[in-house]
Amino acid sequence: MINKNEIQTVELKYHLFDNTPLYYNVVVENNNLDIHVPLDEANTDYQEIQQWISEGNTVIDNGE
Amino acid sequence: MAIDKVTSAAITDGTITSSDLASGTIANQSAFKNIIINGDMSQAQRATSTSSITSSAYHTVDRFKTNISSLGTWTQSRDTTIPTGQGFATSLKMDCTTADGSPSSGDFLNIGTRFEGQMVQYLKKGTSSAESLTLSFWVRSNKTGTYTAELYDSDNTRYNGKTYSISSADTWEKKTITYDGDTTGAFGNDANVSLSVFFWLGAGSDYTGGTFNNGTWGSGGNNTRVSSSQVNLADSTSNEWYITGVQLEAGTSATDFEFLPTDVNLNRCLRYFQILDVGSNCPLYTTGDGNHNRHIRLTWGIRKRATPSVTSSASSGTLSSLGQTHDSKSFYVNVGSGGGTTGLNANVTIDAEL
Repeated sequence: MINKNEIQTVELKYHLFDNTPLYYNVVVENNNLDIHVPLDEANTDYQEIQQWISEGNTVIDNGE
Repeated sequence: MAIDKVTSAAITDGTITSSDLASGTIANQSAFKNIIINGDMSQAQRATSTSSITSSAYHTVDRFKTNISSLGTWTQSRDTTIPTGQGFATSLKMDCTTADGSPSSGDFLNIGTRFEGQMVQYLKKGTSSAESLTLSFWVRSNKTGTYTAELYDSDNTRYNGKTYSISSADTWEKKTITYDGDTTGAFGNDANVSLSVFFWLGAGSDYTGGTFNNGTWGSGGNNTRVSSSQVNLADSTSNEWYITGVQLEAGTSATDFEFLPTDVNLNRCLRYFQILDVGSNCPLYTTGDGNHNRHIRLTWGIRKRATPSVTSSASSGTLSSLGQTHDSKSFYVNVGSGGGTTGLNANVTIDAEL
């Protein structure tokens, strides 16, 4: 479970085949693992990221 | 009539029906009567002990989340200190390691567990037939005094707190609290959080400063949620608090704790969180897609509450996703035109917690 206070970066990633937005790749403090958060409003990590965004933070989006 | 005269031979079929029995004669015997999952604290997939806790998370015992804001530092563990002779093998322990004797207004600490709306539709909340709820649990602490146990309705921002007392230091005590049904505000019939139970261990005036709702459902503001007599468990590093045998059930009486088989209890927890041990360097497979990608699809076995967050890593290269569902996820790693080897590292974490 992600704590928004520990988020370092959030990057939007796209599907390899059809280039649709697929998930957030999240980097948090003290963790070098890949955290994939689905774009699902029922996911509480997704909800936490939305709060993080509402506080003025920006999702990295390098496009498809 | 003497009780030994009431035999099956003496009673004609159909003579005695449930309406002939006084209310409460037969306690709640339904399977899965306990709304709480893992109330015996037996499952702890993440860890059996976590130290230096200052942030909110599920740290050890499954389904029980620590909610904290600037109120001490804690070690939480699944402990073997238990009430003797009650059938429990484990408890959740909170041990204060850095004290905070003067909480600021917004500080708080509680242990909470949450339930999906679709799991609690039968409580008929928000109707004239709303069910009462009875919370029972075993608790122990060196710090005697008044504590708050609260029901919280996230869908309608309504809450109902009641107090219990720990009377004897370092002694297990069983507590039973009955909450009236709430005729206002229905739970959403979905997989999102609707009902929570919070065991408060300390709070600042933002939570204690108003008129405590004290057994009445309401939405009068956060400062009505916690009793002003609430103990501050964070006021000494000598303080510790244990809890086990947590049961929340419909009705006005507490029945015996519902022990579930270990596998059933674990499977209920897996709906929300799972650590999937795929072994070390689990192979990723070449698909010949022409993009130098190596793939694997993992299935969770137990359908998750929602599409989960997945934490994982590869032995070489960056893991990317090809999509996921409540049931499974596809990964790939691009190994480049020069080829190369890579595998999925052990212990993929799948998180669909509330």
